[in-house]
Amino acid sequence: MPMGIKDIVNRTKAYHCLDCGKCTSVCPISLLKEDYSPRRLVQKALLEKPESLLKDEFLWWCLTCSMCDEICESDVHYTEFVRDLRAEAHKIGQEGVYAHNGTMQSIMRMMTLSPTLKQNRLDWLTKDLKVKIYPTDSASPTDLLYFVGCLPYFDKFFTNLELNTLDIAKSTIKILNHLGIEPILMANEKCCGHDLLWTGDIENFKKLAQQNIEEIKRTGAKKIVFSCAEGYQTFKQEYPKHIGALDIEVIHISELIAENLSQLTTHNSQLKVTYQDPCRLGRFCGIYEEPREIINAMELKLNEMPKNRKSAICCGTSGWMNCGTYSKQIQLARLTEAKSTGADLLITSCPKCQIHFKCAMNDENTPKEAKIEIQDLTTLIANQLNKRKKDVNE
Amino acid sequence: MQKLAPDIQNILEAKEVYLKFPQISSIKYAIKKVETSKCKSACPIDTDVKAYLGLIAAGKFEKALAIVKRDNPLPGICGRVCVHPCETECNRNEIDQPLAICYLKRFLADYELNSTNSTNSINSTNSNNSIAIIGSGPAGLTAANDLVRLGYKVTVFEELPVAGGMLYTGIPEYRLPRDIIKIEIDAIKKLGVKIKTNTKIKNLNKLQKQGYNAIFIAIGTHKGLKLGIPGEDKFEGFIDCITFLRAVNLGEKVEIGKKVIVIGGGNAAIDSARTALRLGSDVHIVYRRSRKEMPANEWEIEEAEKEGVKIHYLASSVKILGEKGKVVAMECIKNKLGPPDASGRRRPVPIKCSEFKIEADTIIPAISQQPDTSWLSANHGLEISKWNSFVIDEETLATNIKGIFAGGDCVTGPKTIIEAIAAGHRVAKSIDRYLNPEVRSEKREARVEFEVVVESKDKKERVLMPELPINKRKNFKEVELGFTEEMAIEEAKRCLRCGFCAECSECIADCDKRLVALSIPEETSGILLRVPLDTNQFPLNGGPLQGKLSRTDAKEIPVIVEPITARVISNLCRGCGDCEEICEYSAPKLQEQENGVKICSIEEALCKGCGVCASICPSSAITMNHFSNSRINTLSVKSVDEKKIVVFVCNWCYPMAQDFKKLDLNSINSKNSINLIRVMCSGRITPAFIIEAFVQGADGVIGIGCPEGECHYVNGNETAEKNFEKARDILYTLGIRPNKIKLERLSAKKPEKLEKIIGSFINTIR
Repeated sequence: MPMGIKDIVNRTKAYHCLDCGKCTSVCPISLLKEDYSPRRLVQKALLEKPESLLKDEFLWWCLTCSMCDEICESDVHYTEFVRDLRAEAHKIGQEGVYAHNGTMQSIMRMMTLSPTLKQNRLDWLTKDLKVKIYPTDSASPTDLLYFVGCLPYFDKFFTNLELNTLDIAKSTIKILNHLGIEPILMANEKCCGHDLLWTGDIENFKKLAQQNIEEIKRTGAKKIVFSCAEGYQTFKQEYPKHIGALDIEVIHISELIAENLSQLTTHNSQLKVTYQDPCRLGRFCGIYEEPREIINAMELKLNEMPKNRKSAICCGTSGWMNCGTYSKQIQLARLTEAKSTGADLLITSCPKCQIHFKCAMNDENTPKEAKIEIQDLTTLIANQLNKRKKDVNE
Repeated sequence: MQKLAPDIQNILEAKEVYLKFPQISSIKYAIKKVETSKCKSACPIDTDVKAYLGLIAAGKFEKALAIVKRDNPLPGICGRVCVHPCETECNRNEIDQPLAICYLKRFLADYELNSTNSTNSINSTNSNNSIAIIGSGPAGLTAANDLVRLGYKVTVFEELPVAGGMLYTGIPEYRLPRDIIKIEIDAIKKLGVKIKTNTKIKNLNKLQKQGYNAIFIAIGTHKGLKLGIPGEDKFEGFIDCITFLRAVNLGEKVEIGKKVIVIGGGNAAIDSARTALRLGSDVHIVYRRSRKEMPANEWEIEEAEKEGVKIHYLASSVKILGEKGKVVAMECIKNKLGPPDASGRRRPVPIKCSEFKIEADTIIPAISQQPDTSWLSANHGLEISKWNSFVIDEETLATNIKGIFAGGDCVTGPKTIIEAIAAGHRVAKSIDRYLNPEVRSEKREARVEFEVVVESKDKKERVLMPELPINKRKNFKEVELGFTEEMAIEEAKRCLRCGFCAECSECIADCDKRLVALSIPEETSGILLRVPLDTNQFPLNGGPLQGKLSRTDAKEIPVIVEPITARVISNLCRGCGDCEEICEYSAPKLQEQENGVKICSIEEALCKGCGVCASICPSSAITMNHFSNSRINTLSVKSVDEKKIVVFVCNWCYPMAQDFKKLDLNSINSKNSINLIRVMCSGRITPAFIIEAFVQGADGVIGIGCPEGECHYVNGNETAEKNFEKARDILYTLGIRPNKIKLERLSAKKPEKLEKIIGSFINTIR
């Protein structure tokens, strides 16, 4: 679908903008970068030469956290507005500044090259993790498919952050096994394309989406579970938009666990935790309560941050792009907020939130007030399951 | 900030000279140069202002003086009384006050007076041509000075008993001490110029017959104009400003009354008024326009007012009132300003019934002057304009009679000293060409001017000129006392060096190997140029121009050849400090901003351009000049050839480009397309480059770096090792066999091994 700027304006209701400035008042970037303002970009599209927008550096600074969408009383979809403008800009060769010299983007594009690319993405699986690997193992259509996402790549790339991103995948499988589910994993799963989509590379995003959907169809699975917020949102909301409705149920691991709260083990500790709502899970998909129900069911003390749920502050960057001074400041501020709740642990359900926060804490100048332990929700649960297992064995 | 070594500090502060490609073993410096700074182009004689200011700032006074004297034989005079258009144009006007360029010139002249070395040298005479110059004012003296240096025999004829023309007779001693004039004229005489004073020329024809091959008329404007109002010729008590100033300056007895009126608003009026004041009179100036329109120098008007001269602005003289044959008063009328006239100034319009009287016993009209041509013989044949000035050819300054030239005030009407000097230079060149048409027929040079952006905004107050206190001025002692050495250096340091290189030529003088070239190569007429010193010697120049400034259409387009250094996009910096940690040269520095955020910046002088920091910067905030991510990625573009091998080669591990061509890579190339990408150091090869090469269709990627301990950037090759390891891991996950990614070590001493390395790499991946 060719998307001219006019289309974008119409589709995202940009013409509804009343220029009230509420978006600017909540935008984390506007707070730091005074000349950045969502409404100004919208006004530019409406009043000035819209073409100039495509060459506007500001286009690439938006976190796409959707905070502005939440507050906008005119129902302007600013985040979508930016996403689609980026796609237009990308067509004329414009782009943001990719973090890590573009390594992540290169990895994603590499995956588009051949549908039969023979990845070695599952060599971390251990025997205790009960899974069916497609296409080697036989699977039935009733089986649940677990979409692992970028975790194996993060593990190879972020060697300096003590991330162990694969723990999230392992933990997810452990939880699924605990619930009596033996998930299907695809040996040739591709990146979901989230970051390409949000950095304007629609062409390659679609390639990845199609390749993934075709492969999933081949597995026969009708239900997919995600341990990451971005993959979940991309499958749930973006794939249907770009490649048509999916005949597959898409769920987030927290939804699945929340349905089985009785099977969780209580934590039995004085541990105080706080929860970071990932933008894609919260504001995009409305999953606010499930993770909280899980935390409560584990009988952990949840100290909410002042800004939670709909007003949760973003982890500071998205799409491995324009991750600079402002991102760092947003991250440090959010970490300080988390720490000041008195929590010992910051829980999130998005691997990227974890990476971004850990990166911000990584340098020696980070103040004590912004240093807090971070764990993925799945890891927290799985560790507890392990503990119980040990207790039972003893 | 860390204290830098003095050498580096110099480079940083000077800005003009910088390391061109510090990465290449034979270190090359380059000079950044933009022609022409405003001060220079404002000067009628193109004085290299920046050059002498720069040399003063460096304490090299003698060399600064030599620069001044190259263009100006009268520095002591100009340093005192030049109207200095250079200061009007000075870019510092936009910041605080202009440089005291004039005072600094005077300082140099003063310095010469106090030193024993004289920088004037006498040239041997190599021509039999004789030249006569009529008039010993600045135009005549300059031409004499130039021509005698070219080897001509020069005789200057002066009607008055002293040489100097208007310098002597027009400018009062308190502004320009007589000994200064004498010293500078003596210096010209010392070169061999004969100056015959008390010699009035009556017949030019005769002069030519006496054997003068060329004659230069530089008689100035020594005839004061009359007011043309009633009573002017009726009463005693009139003296025109020229006559008055000449008489005072020549030490003749002048009788003026106690109440003096000077009419006019030019420098001659102010000089007359201040002179009359010093003779003990009460002085009024009557000027028909407002102060804004007054043509006299602003600072002169100020001094006159300070000293007690009363100036009546917007008033015209109407008639002279007298008693017993003597002037007693002048009737004036008040004016208002009407629409602008031909000169662009607003025309004074008398206000009816606003007449008033000023008592006076002496009236000095100072309204304008003309050349006095009464000395010419009746049949002189020269074309004379209706203003009594000589008509000349604009380009050659030749009059209608062959061999006779004219220039200075007697052509243009009363102008400034510096314009007279300019005319002197032009006439000298013109006479030289006239007498040697074959030998010296080089083109007359055009002046190139540019807008210079004022980069520095630091304010620094102008050094004030020490002056004689007001109460000690009732005499002809010089009012302005001159700068001390310290003051001169301090003032000269304010120069913004617009256009960078000051063209002081010190580098040329200091370089015994004659490696410095200051001229811009002919093929580049670019405006903004950083000129490499010897581009031909850079086979490996990075950058889009390959070190060659080859634009011929660059009249309007800036051509910048930058050194290879890292650069930080500040709002992308996360302040993690990884770069600071990895750089072996302390080039990246984290600096706290006003809001407490730490951001990295690169000290260009310390950066060696290896690019290791850029390869590890997590937010890609560091980019390399000439070796940017996008450029390197573009180099590994997709090829239809499936057997494509991308080779990232460290600058040092393979011989320079030409040598590389000598290597027999063709045999490999015929079967495999080899894409060589040069990087300064293997540490620059970030994992993304390697992965992207595969995205672009590479079949294998090999990096060539220096062996352990031989890295030219201390240990950039260690970073390369880590980057390759990471890329290999990621590409393995992506299904690429690890042996397709290889980092090889090759000593710069054995470049010939490169062929073998690539060959065996290809064999292993097939």
